[in-house]
Amino acid sequence: MISPKLVEVGRHTNINLITNSEIENIEGEPGDFDVTLVNRPRYIDPVKCTGCGECARHCPVTAVNYYNMNLDDRRATYIEYAQAVPLAFAIDTDTCIGCGLCENMCIAKAIDYDDKERTSKLKAGSVILSAGSRGFDPSSLDYLGYGKFPNVVTSEEFERILSASGPYFGHLMRPLDREEPKKIAWLQCVGSRDKNRSGNGYCSSVCCMYAVKEAMISKEHAHGDLDCAIFNMDIRTFGKDYEKYYLRAKDKDGVRFVKARIHTITEVPETGDLSVWYVDETGATQEETFNMVVLSIGLQIQPKTVELAQRLRIELNEYNFTSAAPFAPVKTSRPGIYTCGVLQGPKDIPSSITEASAAACLAGADLAEARGADIQKITVPDEIDISGQEPRIGVFVCNCGINIGGIVDVPAVREYAATLPNVTFTDDNLFTCSQDTQDKIKEVIIEHKLNRVVVASCSPKTHEQMFMETLEACGINKYLFEMANIRNQNSWIHSKTPEIATQKAKDLVRMSVARAAVLNTLKEKIVPINKQALIIGGGIAGMNAALGLGKQGFDVVLVEKDTQLGGFARQLHHTIEGEDIGAYIEKLIADVEADNKIRVLKNTRIVGFEGFKGNFATEVIVDGSDDKEKIKHGVIIVATGASEYKPEEYSYGEDKRIVTQVELGHRLEEQGASDLDSVVMIQCVGSRNDENENCSRICCQNAVKNALDIKRLNPDAQVYILYRDIRTYGLLEDYYTKARELGVIFIRFDQAAPPEVQASDDGVLVRIKDHILQQDVDIRADLLTLSAGMVAEDTDELSGIMKLNRNPEGFFIEAHVKLRPVDMPSDGIFLCGSAHAPKLISETIAQAQAAASRATTFLARDEIKLSAITAKVDTDYCVKCLTCVRSCPFEVPVFNTHEKVIEINEAICHGCGVCTAVCPRETIQLSFYEDDQITSKIDALLAGGM
Amino acid sequence: MIVAQRKPFEEIMNMLKGYKKVLNVGCGTCVAVCLAGGEKEVTVLNTELDMARKLKDNPIKIDGITIERQCDREYLAELDSKVDDYEAVVSMACGVGVQFLAERFPQIPVYPMVDTSGLAANQAVGWYEERCRSCNQCVLGMTGGICPVTMCAKGIYNGPCGGTNNGSCEIDTEQPCAWFMIYERLERQGRLDNILELHAPVEWLDQTPRTLVQPGYKKVDPEDLV
Repeated sequence: MISPKLVEVGRHTNINLITNSEIENIEGEPGDFDVTLVNRPRYIDPVKCTGCGECARHCPVTAVNYYNMNLDDRRATYIEYAQAVPLAFAIDTDTCIGCGLCENMCIAKAIDYDDKERTSKLKAGSVILSAGSRGFDPSSLDYLGYGKFPNVVTSEEFERILSASGPYFGHLMRPLDREEPKKIAWLQCVGSRDKNRSGNGYCSSVCCMYAVKEAMISKEHAHGDLDCAIFNMDIRTFGKDYEKYYLRAKDKDGVRFVKARIHTITEVPETGDLSVWYVDETGATQEETFNMVVLSIGLQIQPKTVELAQRLRIELNEYNFTSAAPFAPVKTSRPGIYTCGVLQGPKDIPSSITEASAAACLAGADLAEARGADIQKITVPDEIDISGQEPRIGVFVCNCGINIGGIVDVPAVREYAATLPNVTFTDDNLFTCSQDTQDKIKEVIIEHKLNRVVVASCSPKTHEQMFMETLEACGINKYLFEMANIRNQNSWIHSKTPEIATQKAKDLVRMSVARAAVLNTLKEKIVPINKQALIIGGGIAGMNAALGLGKQGFDVVLVEKDTQLGGFARQLHHTIEGEDIGAYIEKLIADVEADNKIRVLKNTRIVGFEGFKGNFATEVIVDGSDDKEKIKHGVIIVATGASEYKPEEYSYGEDKRIVTQVELGHRLEEQGASDLDSVVMIQCVGSRNDENENCSRICCQNAVKNALDIKRLNPDAQVYILYRDIRTYGLLEDYYTKARELGVIFIRFDQAAPPEVQASDDGVLVRIKDHILQQDVDIRADLLTLSAGMVAEDTDELSGIMKLNRNPEGFFIEAHVKLRPVDMPSDGIFLCGSAHAPKLISETIAQAQAAASRATTFLARDEIKLSAITAKVDTDYCVKCLTCVRSCPFEVPVFNTHEKVIEINEAICHGCGVCTAVCPRETIQLSFYEDDQITSKIDALLAGGM
Repeated sequence: MIVAQRKPFEEIMNMLKGYKKVLNVGCGTCVAVCLAGGEKEVTVLNTELDMARKLKDNPIKIDGITIERQCDREYLAELDSKVDDYEAVVSMACGVGVQFLAERFPQIPVYPMVDTSGLAANQAVGWYEERCRSCNQCVLGMTGGICPVTMCAKGIYNGPCGGTNNGSCEIDTEQPCAWFMIYERLERQGRLDNILELHAPVEWLDQTPRTLVQPGYKKVDPEDLV
């Protein structure tokens, strides 16, 4: 999943990647920082290194492999993992014996034993700190036996054990005897929610979800039945659709969830098994034996990061997170320096990615005037027209140092290639990807009038784009290029049988030459981008997104269906941290209305929509006018929000003493709490049930917030919170702790035995079974507060008009639940706030800024080049069976009701090829992957007689 | 639309075991739409046959062609110059197409490659549900748009029978009772009186091949059409 991202960062022309370096100091002002870096020596020049790995193969020294959490070995000359960017090796001088073997082996002459630590300086306008965290080290918690009992591992170690590239190649084994465990226990909250032993009062937010995931994957990897038990205090699966995953693990896949915190682990000496001891819900001591124990360790900011923050004069909170203000989630205490990810606070991948984009928004807004000033312009010569020319193919066979050449007889492959039809030039190179070879290829293309190129080397995944650029630089259409992967798919895996590897290399080259001969010139359509954004929804999300885009210098039309801005947040008074929400919204509205880049349309309805990325047109009706207004825009940000669920449970609406949390908030604001002796709150009303399986994320902290308010206004009032799991994730855990310290009583109940509610003259009577007493308890309440979940705004009409997909709960669907939480599946459309899923105001602001940032990457360009790899339908033969319409994952093919034909809009086609494969009349072709361009390879392979 | 599904591969292998040179004719209309006999399925079947026969050391030369429709003589004409090069012709069309093909080329054996299952609606990609038995006596106007011939296991015109069971049919609880559905829909539309009208049963006896001539058209001598 992360590999394409690494490649993208490595190849991005606007990103200068400086690795193995640390910030020494930052001086100066926002917009003009002087950054001092310490560049540590890696002893191998990353520019010269081709990543061939010959140095590591010959290194005689064994060193501990930190990447695999010390569970296996590597060489002293090493690369952390195969997908690393830059793809360059380094020497670990702590273990290197200086034998000189790697220097002798390196054909690229990249080894430099005299490399030294240097200091360098660079200029920056803004800075983003994303130093991240490490797993908590449980060695200090002696009762868990970590470090003493081999089969007690941390969750980080277990991740590596499950990984195909890990120490056991993905086989589920325990460290002691490499036997497959039949019974595994996960222990939650190791180094989290534990101020007493670990000093960390916060919840790490991610461990519940990863423990469930690890249990599920373990079950997949196991060869027989595997018993997985997760010992927890609360299961905190609060993210979007996370609860559904938890339910699947619990109800379908048989993962056991045990409410207990383990107090002792002992080893069974003969077997290496582990006995865990705990007190169950009824207070009885229990013992159970497992083959393996995984400690779900929390997220911990590292001491070096703390030192960095001190050097940069950035304030950290008591747990060393950047303690951001709720309304400015990615700002640090120092202007111009922003933060994101776990350094800001404990969080999962989608939240980290969202914050990263938010930080990019603020960092970019400060520098908006200078945008594009440092970008290098690449000029490409006019394309040579090759129509009517016979194919003239050049074949370049790569030795890849000795990666290929050491196994495959490269000269023989080159000579063989010269005998193939249409081949006019062949060569072999030490490194085909090196700059000097690229220059040589350019000369050869021109000299020999080549009109197609085949490179036999490594993976197109990493190198195709580069070679295509080389073709473009000579005026050859970049789609007249083909690669044969004779390294990853050949020399690496057939290294013990060089003759067969040489034969296979010839086969692969023959296939590629055959395909190259039938490739066609393809035109990439260029479409201009309309530089205006349309934002739907004028709540906190929409307004922050609008301000973010305004600061980046783009025009925004902000559409709100209500007669005033503010959205659901108008119903809220203050955050759990005590910040005034009303004042914040007033300021936000004033800023939006004062911004001349933002046009606000209130009381407005969207009635029509057409277009695609960069070129949308939306029709609106403002103030019930008879005339529609057409707005042209390049991007869309969806920020339609959510509101509080209206309960149908617990006699809500029948008695004025039964209210929701939002209503309680109003009451406390207006009337205080002096007349309240007893308040009961019931959690998960309208959430985590059959109708709405998901957790609403915000209600636990909302209940704690209001409970703390009641205690502040009237310390003698008794507050009971009846809950299923308390989900005060991240730094919210401190407020939960504080509520308990102030005497708020938390009573857990089971979904199957919910509280019973009866209104009487004396108050509202609530009956609940106390699991410690094992009997029913009656509580009299002056006020019963229902923690009603969040429901998405009604967007039936909107999603129909704009063809935006929603999940069954009515929240809009993002492009990728983990990696693209702000993008929607269609290009140029972004998503933020509670339209995406329930979330806190701080999280909404971060996602709104992120949406503005993502939209900026689009709007900053004048035009976009569309991929030429798209599907085309031959309407003469199409029988309109609708198979493509129904099969396309992006809903691109449509039946045009005017022309009566199936249409595939190339501007929105992703080029995935699904429609091409399913078409029963074979009437859809995917350019660059046309039928004959694929079958030619198969025919060429078979023609060689396998 | 007419729907069909490919015959079991073993049956196909058995039919073709004596032939070395065969032409596979696809049909570009109904069976293409129902993913049973268009260009793609012709290619798939031919590839399977090619591989299976090679593995048995008994290779077959099998070519494929898909024509617009096998039930229109104009489209079949495309095959006139081709079929005599082959020992047999196989058809991916419905039973109508297979027969029409066999009729045009009486000199050569023609084999069906699909089983035609009926007239169905397309619920989703690859999922078809029968809705019509072409009984030639449509009563849908009286039955709330629900066909008792197709949807009732007994095909009765005056139901339900004694086997109706809380909305299900006696053959299977998953199978709704057609007459229960008819009752519910007629009741909702306020025309329950329709159900009281007696209908004569379908004339299934003495079935002869039916001919349909749309109004404004007439039958002509087939000889004139060749």
